[in-house]
Amino acid sequence: MLRNDPIKHVFIWPAVLVVLAISIFPLIYSLTTSFLSYRLIPPIPPRVVWFGNYASLLQEPRFWNAILTTTLIAFIAVGLQYVIGFGVALALNARVPGERLFRVALLLPMLLAPVAVALVARMIFNPTMGPLNQLLSMFGLANLPFLTNGHWALACIIAVEIWQWTPFIILMMLAGLQTLPEDVYEAAELENASAWQQFWGITFPMMLPISGAVVFIRLIESYKIMDTVFVMTGGGPGVDTETLTLFAYQEGFKKFNLGYTSALSFLFLIAITIIGVTYLALLRPHLEKRR
Amino acid sequence: MLRRTFLMLTTSLAMACAASQAHAACSPDYSGVTLTVATQTGPYIASALKLGADEWTKKTCGKVNVVEFPWSELYPKIVTSLTSSDATFDLVSFAPAWLPDFVPYLSEMPKDMQSGKDWDDIEPAYRERLMVWEGKIYSQSMDGDVHTYTYRTDLFSDPKEKDAFKAKYGYDLAPPKTWKQYLDIAEFFQRPDKGLWGTAEAFRRGGQQFWFFFSHAAAYTNNPNYPGAMFFDPETMDAQINNPGWVKGLEEYIRASKLGPPNALNFSFGEVNAAVAGGQVAESIGWGDTGVIAADPKQSKISGKVGSAVLPGSDEIWNAKTKKWDKFPAVLPAPFMAFGGWQVGVPNAGKNQKAAWDFVKTLTSPEVSGQAAITGGTGVNPYRKSHTANLELWSKIFSPAEAKEYLGAQAESINGKNVALDMRLPGYFSYTEVVEIELGKALAGQTTPQAALDAIAKEWNRLTDEFGRAKQLAAYRAAMGLPPKK
Repeated sequence: MLRNDPIKHVFIWPAVLVVLAISIFPLIYSLTTSFLSYRLIPPIPPRVVWFGNYASLLQEPRFWNAILTTTLIAFIAVGLQYVIGFGVALALNARVPGERLFRVALLLPMLLAPVAVALVARMIFNPTMGPLNQLLSMFGLANLPFLTNGHWALACIIAVEIWQWTPFIILMMLAGLQTLPEDVYEAAELENASAWQQFWGITFPMMLPISGAVVFIRLIESYKIMDTVFVMTGGGPGVDTETLTLFAYQEGFKKFNLGYTSALSFLFLIAITIIGVTYLALLRPHLEKRR
Repeated sequence: MLRRTFLMLTTSLAMACAASQAHAACSPDYSGVTLTVATQTGPYIASALKLGADEWTKKTCGKVNVVEFPWSELYPKIVTSLTSSDATFDLVSFAPAWLPDFVPYLSEMPKDMQSGKDWDDIEPAYRERLMVWEGKIYSQSMDGDVHTYTYRTDLFSDPKEKDAFKAKYGYDLAPPKTWKQYLDIAEFFQRPDKGLWGTAEAFRRGGQQFWFFFSHAAAYTNNPNYPGAMFFDPETMDAQINNPGWVKGLEEYIRASKLGPPNALNFSFGEVNAAVAGGQVAESIGWGDTGVIAADPKQSKISGKVGSAVLPGSDEIWNAKTKKWDKFPAVLPAPFMAFGGWQVGVPNAGKNQKAAWDFVKTLTSPEVSGQAAITGGTGVNPYRKSHTANLELWSKIFSPAEAKEYLGAQAESINGKNVALDMRLPGYFSYTEVVEIELGKALAGQTTPQAALDAIAKEWNRLTDEFGRAKQLAAYRAAMGLPPKK
């Protein structure tokens, strides 16, 4: 087939149309809706408000609270996931006895549906019937307000996120560790480099590209957290654990405030883009140093 | 050959007879019809619908498919289906508060169902108020909901407890007439070292929390001198939720949260029932399910010791017009019709509307609904006169004394002179969402009751302006049973 063969259009255009239909059109429709005051319930005829929805959102303390909560969950959870995940991956890479069993067992949480995990967590953290508080009572300690106090509830959500998604980091980091060349370590051994020196001077820098990618994926995914919070706390107490996606859900599917929700989604997109771009900009010099 | 023909003829005749008999059993005949009903995840209400479905299938040969959604998902699912005019659901079950949002998409109840013995048997509070929207009937109650008071008779009749209570508070231990007495009793029985706490109410966001708060506030805000002014001023549609009556209600609701089992802040109504049936608390408020579950020996540790009464009231009620407290000669209970009981409606996009209304007729018939009301776990509470009049029916689950108190409390509440109706307004979720958020903050001590209620009032007024004040005022007056404003 030649480059100018018109048959290429038969193959290209269906794909282009599909992409337009399922991706670009909803995006444009959603952007248009964000400039409208548009409610399904109670039914109010759409009215153009231009940047009115955006201005209201930016003045809304609940929006900023949702940004802060989501950022806290994302950064703390992903930070700890990375540290724990890298540590476990190093241990598994050192070929400890029963390594295969550990590998399978440690990956299990990642395979579970977040809703199921959240339901189990809600039972564990249940203040009266949950095993955790019962355990505390057995030792004569006071029951903790796991899901009824804002700080505790946030900590519980972060703990569940770490439990569920650290296996993803383990998997990726282990895959990365297994591709590292042996000869570099052999040379380091000859130079009498300690284990810490080997890690800090060889493993960590060589794993930086994959670390950057893994943390980036998890960070973006964490910003989209919804199901865990929805099931465990519903965003409460008050709005202490309300994330951006949950806020959008409440506005869109409880109040059917479509214009406002569309604007919220675009602000969310902008926030994620800023975070992503900043992260990559911060990481770039370190990656370039390695080239 | 002749023999074979005769045999075939006989067989054909027999089959035809059998078929006609089967058809005769289906009256009216809806064989081949399958109705889809949307409801919340069972057992509550879903099991009552299934009970009705079995009866309807026996009667009409039609089938009913009950589709369950979690409570928090039900409203969005129904709204999405109704507003897109698809025929996914032949029937929807919902809260009366959602009716104003659903009315444009529901069919009117057939006129022949709006008269007769079964119709008159429905309590007027439902038939004339909660089932009506702008003079028309779009839904049928399948459950009656009013908050009542439940207590442990073994504790309340114990001479030692009675003496100790009187010595401490200066009056007799008995079902409370006022909310102050209710809190005194809760405080008196607060004995964590013995596994006994004062009271149990729902305090969790998304856990039916705000209806419990409304029950407290109704006593101080549902003023018969200025009817319909509990939530909004029926003349101006200005929010009333931050007036002194509401503040007092919230202060007492917060106090109640401190007189419950540990971490009561995480209680939804399910946990309230578990605490009552588990004998953990001396008293409680809530829907009629609490009494039925607590009386069931299979589910309860206090079976045979369950007392019921009308909610406490007040002799001082805030007047939203004069902006003063009105003093009454005696304590006036204001039983709150929290939620108002589940209703069923038939979407006008449905393809089997006639069959759907026929199912509603069977489901809510005195016989089927009466059976559902005495079956623990169906979530159906009395809403027909026959439900509360038939003591024999209730003797299956209650002792005679328990039944008398339970039914007395239900009937007295529904027919109370100063019964408080729940809020029904277009955009209901927008109004209640902010209540849940601010209640959460007030219960956690992050804000004062007055500040929390001021924030709610501000948002309610903003929403009213956004939705159209005149339109919302007309809807509110209709919901409160007031005539249109001239």
